[in-house]
Amino acid sequence: MTLLVLLSLLIAAILSVAVGHRDDRLPPLLGVVGAMVAWIGSVLIGVQQWGMGATAASTGTGQVATGGLPISVTLRVDQLSASMLVLATSVALLVQVYSVAYLRGDPRYPSYTAFVGVFTAAMALVVMADDLFVLLVGWEVMGVCSYVLISHHWELEPARSGAVKAFVMTRLGDIGLLFGFFVLGKAAGTYRISEIVAAARGGEITGHEATAAALLVLCGVVGKSAQFPLHSWLPDAMPGPTPISALIHAATMVAAGVFLVARLLPVFGLSDVAMNLLAAIACLTMVGSALFALAADDLKRVLAWSTVSQLAYMFAALSLGGYAAGVEHLLSHGAFKALLFLAAGSVIHAVGTQRLDGMGGLRTSMPVTFVTMTIGFAALAGLPPFVGFFSKDAVLGVAADQAANGSAARGWLVLVVGVLVAGLTSAYATRAWLMTFFGPRRGHATDVAPHESSWLMLGPMVVLAGLSVVGGAAVVKPGFLGVDAEGAHLPVVLVSLAVALGGAAVTVVQWQRLRRADPALALGRLRPVLAREARYDDLVGALVVRPTGWAARFTRLNEEDVVETYVGGVDSSGQWAARLVRWTHNGNAQRYVTAVVIGAVAVAVVIGVVGPS
Amino acid sequence: MPLLFPLVVSSALFGIGVYVVLARRHAVLVLMGVELMLNAVNLNLVAFDAWWHDTFDSGQVLALFVIAIAAAEIGLGLAIVLVVFRTHRHVDVDNLRELADRDAPDPERVAGASS
Amino acid sequence: MIGGLEIIIGLPLLGALVVLLLSRRDTVAAWVGVAFGSATLAGSVVPWAATIDDGGGYVARSDTAWIRALDVRWALGLDRLSAPLVVLTALLSWCCLVALVRRAPSCGARPGLVALVLVLESASIGTFAALDLIVFFVFFELVLIPMWFVIADWGDEHDPVGRRRAATRFLVTTVTGSALMLVGFLLLHARTGTFDVTELPSRAGQIGAGTQVLVAVLFLLGFGAKVPVWPLHFWLPDAHSKAPTVGSVLLAGVLLKLGTYGLLRFWADVPDGAVRVAPYLGALGVVGIVYGALACLAQTDLKRLIAYSSVGHMGFVLLAISTLTEQGRLAANFANVAHGIITALLFFVVGAVKDRVGTTELAGIGRALYARAPHLGAAFGFAAVASLGLPGLAGFWGEMLSMLAAYSPAAALSRSTYVVFMVVAGLGAVLTTAYFVVAIRRVCQGVPDRDAVGDVGRDEWVAWSPLVASVLALGIFPVIMLWSGSASALAGRR
Repeated sequence: MTLLVLLSLLIAAILSVAVGHRDDRLPPLLGVVGAMVAWIGSVLIGVQQWGMGATAASTGTGQVATGGLPISVTLRVDQLSASMLVLATSVALLVQVYSVAYLRGDPRYPSYTAFVGVFTAAMALVVMADDLFVLLVGWEVMGVCSYVLISHHWELEPARSGAVKAFVMTRLGDIGLLFGFFVLGKAAGTYRISEIVAAARGGEITGHEATAAALLVLCGVVGKSAQFPLHSWLPDAMPGPTPISALIHAATMVAAGVFLVARLLPVFGLSDVAMNLLAAIACLTMVGSALFALAADDLKRVLAWSTVSQLAYMFAALSLGGYAAGVEHLLSHGAFKALLFLAAGSVIHAVGTQRLDGMGGLRTSMPVTFVTMTIGFAALAGLPPFVGFFSKDAVLGVAADQAANGSAARGWLVLVVGVLVAGLTSAYATRAWLMTFFGPRRGHATDVAPHESSWLMLGPMVVLAGLSVVGGAAVVKPGFLGVDAEGAHLPVVLVSLAVALGGAAVTVVQWQRLRRADPALALGRLRPVLAREARYDDLVGALVVRPTGWAARFTRLNEEDVVETYVGGVDSSGQWAARLVRWTHNGNAQRYVTAVVIGAVAVAVVIGVVGPS
Repeated sequence: MPLLFPLVVSSALFGIGVYVVLARRHAVLVLMGVELMLNAVNLNLVAFDAWWHDTFDSGQVLALFVIAIAAAEIGLGLAIVLVVFRTHRHVDVDNLRELADRDAPDPERVAGASS
Repeated sequence: MIGGLEIIIGLPLLGALVVLLLSRRDTVAAWVGVAFGSATLAGSVVPWAATIDDGGGYVARSDTAWIRALDVRWALGLDRLSAPLVVLTALLSWCCLVALVRRAPSCGARPGLVALVLVLESASIGTFAALDLIVFFVFFELVLIPMWFVIADWGDEHDPVGRRRAATRFLVTTVTGSALMLVGFLLLHARTGTFDVTELPSRAGQIGAGTQVLVAVLFLLGFGAKVPVWPLHFWLPDAHSKAPTVGSVLLAGVLLKLGTYGLLRFWADVPDGAVRVAPYLGALGVVGIVYGALACLAQTDLKRLIAYSSVGHMGFVLLAISTLTEQGRLAANFANVAHGIITALLFFVVGAVKDRVGTTELAGIGRALYARAPHLGAAFGFAAVASLGLPGLAGFWGEMLSMLAAYSPAAALSRSTYVVFMVVAGLGAVLTTAYFVVAIRRVCQGVPDRDAVGDVGRDEWVAWSPLVASVLALGIFPVIMLWSGSASALAGRR
């Protein structure tokens, strides 16, 4: 079954590239069919695993020798991977269906749908791998697929540079991840994930090893899940087609980072340093990205920053050992963020721009999009009864638990920041919602009347909206993921809900006060700073990119001038030596003989002095 | 007779020969210088042979060889000098520079050397 | 006595003779070359398969007295270290010969080039197969001569002086290196009394510590000039940028491997010396990785870029060799083969670009190859992604294993030093990613600013497809070269 999931996606991808150019209808069809088969397969796996008392199933016994510990080509499915698998393939299927309409007539459809398929297969490999290096294969293939898909419109400069940035930044983190895997393998004596987790639980890994491994793995996670300090690639990846953004943000790529921490949580748990660092990174990222989302003037950028912020929520939960809460939030976020992106794609499709100042007043012309996106924003803001409310509550509940007993400092930090960010989240969600659907139509693109999208696009949105409404019950089901649901923390729930409502209310008030202009204007002088994302890119440019460029140019100059001079010097010194010898051969025989006589006398003198010993 | 006398004479002969070969410009004189050097060697060979009381008289034998070779050499040398005189109308050693290593007009090699 | 290896060494030589006799008939000569190349390729797989079944010793051995006075024997044989390299050589030569069928070299005289490729193939296989130091040396030198002609006479048609200089520089550097190597061989013989490669490792005890260090340094310099080890790489970019496509392919795919193979094989003869010198080799390797990547980042000529990327990739191989562990040997061998295939593919693609636009300068190629020649652009993208070490393609396993080997080097080496090497190598890998995506962005993407160019022809697909297939096969099934026992077999030599 696990192989069915992988192979159906890969075969569909290969076929799409191989025969897709013969008929325009083939690639979409192949993409949807491949994703459909994979989805059915993963749902069957999920049903198997979600049944009570199901044990993890392993397949594959192949081994690759490395001269040391072998790499085992093994797939293993437990509840966590089954849930992730269902999420990934569901979103992939919906994205494939959605793309049929969204990218209709695109000449690059065959390669597009193929890379979406490979992307999904790679994510499936990541969640099912039972070996660190097999996981790494999926992890990196995902990176390159995202690179290709982000640069889908490669004639546009932002798409090109965004793709390069995404790939290089995640790759930087991945090197740390690779080293982390080395450390883990050496510490645990195996590269099998299940055995490493068992070793960590059994205390066979020392604290130092766990700290080193966890910190290095964290590098890769931070890169992949766009957390500080490698957070800036995700918003710049927005020039990619919107369905791709949905796929990257909801179910693959960024989710892989959270998944990996969840998977290796016992190792992280051995190291206070790593957990504290994780909590600090999560809190910093959470606040910063929520603020950036508040000031961003591009709808997809708002959503991108919100993803970064929500991922930080998950990491905050995991840093407190809240395995179930983190994964639940990952799943619920997958549903509503996919919804938000698909709805945003529908809006962008209709108005032809991504900028918020080109939208407004769309609720009448796009009613279905309006309703579904409203549900998505409500879930994002954490309002009941939508799915985001329950999972966010679970995260804050873990924080409250830890603050009360256990690691108090970390718990309080996450709790306070989490509640604060709940307010910010609902504020930016409300702002984006208002600016998209209310007020007057802004911008110059008014010559085209916005219209509702086709049902191929609306269908997936409606499905996801439905999931966002009813998913809450499923997420908080007790016993899910083998952990009893954290009890409801009524005070925390009430406080966070109040803060969230307060954030929304403040936004609405500003919206009214500014006569339906951007509520972010109320931020005053803070707004340009936030809109430029605290100039982090400039900082990275000054500290990393430009020095690297200098080093590269210096190296090239060194090669072409310095080294070339020395090598050329060897050339010409040979020539000069030859010229010197030539000069003595002037054809005067007497001078030759003179040289011979002088030489003979010199030899005689030397022998006379040294003596014929 | 002490060994010293013939050795001094032969050294003087050899020195004069070297001087003539190195300094004189006339080719025939250079050949004569070579002869002087060869005969200095002969004198040495004979003197050492007598002093050594060599049973095989190898010094004298070798001297005979040298005389034979010197005769052949002077014949060949004079022939060359004659040819040189016929072609150059002079036998001035200093001006006989045909063996000098001069630049050949080879464009590719010149280009390679200059770069 | 004619053994199997004599046949696969002799076949290309015979082919070269036949091709020269046919030199009037251009195309026929090329086809004859392909025929002999195919036969050699088929033949080379046989001993490789035999090494898999075999317990880890030498297969297809032949051993006859050759020059008795010098104690030189005509000894050939393959083991698990050399057999894959022989297959690699035969495969790359086959691809080159196929590539020459439809596309004549720009300066004509195709039969000569075909014959030289066959001679190169023969000599390279002979080098890998030699089990006698002097036979090794003879073949090692024999490789240089055809390559000099290939670069000097069939190279860049716009720059006759430059290509001759590049060829001479290549020749002089590597000949100097191999002179040092020969001194090392003679020292070994002086101390152990044998030129027998199979016998030498067990006689390491007869060599004093000082001599061991000396021999290890001589090998480092001698083979390092060929690899090339930073800072002896100065000949490589010139040679690559002036060489014709087949020359670049064989230079990067086969000739560089001679150096790493030699280090891998002969450092085992002086283990004590190797331990002393290895950290320096590792340091030079990682410097090469970073330096090569930085040089690529600012490079504006695609062929030079790939040449510098070779410096970086060979740095990984050197790092692996310098760990002196079985893991390192395995990593080096895998990375050798992977680099050979991937870089050959890259040079083929860039050569195809050059055939179409007449230059390899980025400014001259123009933008948006994806639009102007989609398959060509895709092929470049694929090769670049393989070269930057994407898991699932061949390049990854070699580099990953190199770093893994550096994480736990031999007990006699300082572990902390090697961990630093590992981290630097990792940063170099990030830079490698950076320059390849920048190159793709510059060449393949963007708004088309020139006319479309002809896309990949069928003959080119035939020549490239074995390489693409090997990249995928080695990436997805690394077990082809990393099966359990392939490591212990190499250990059996000690």
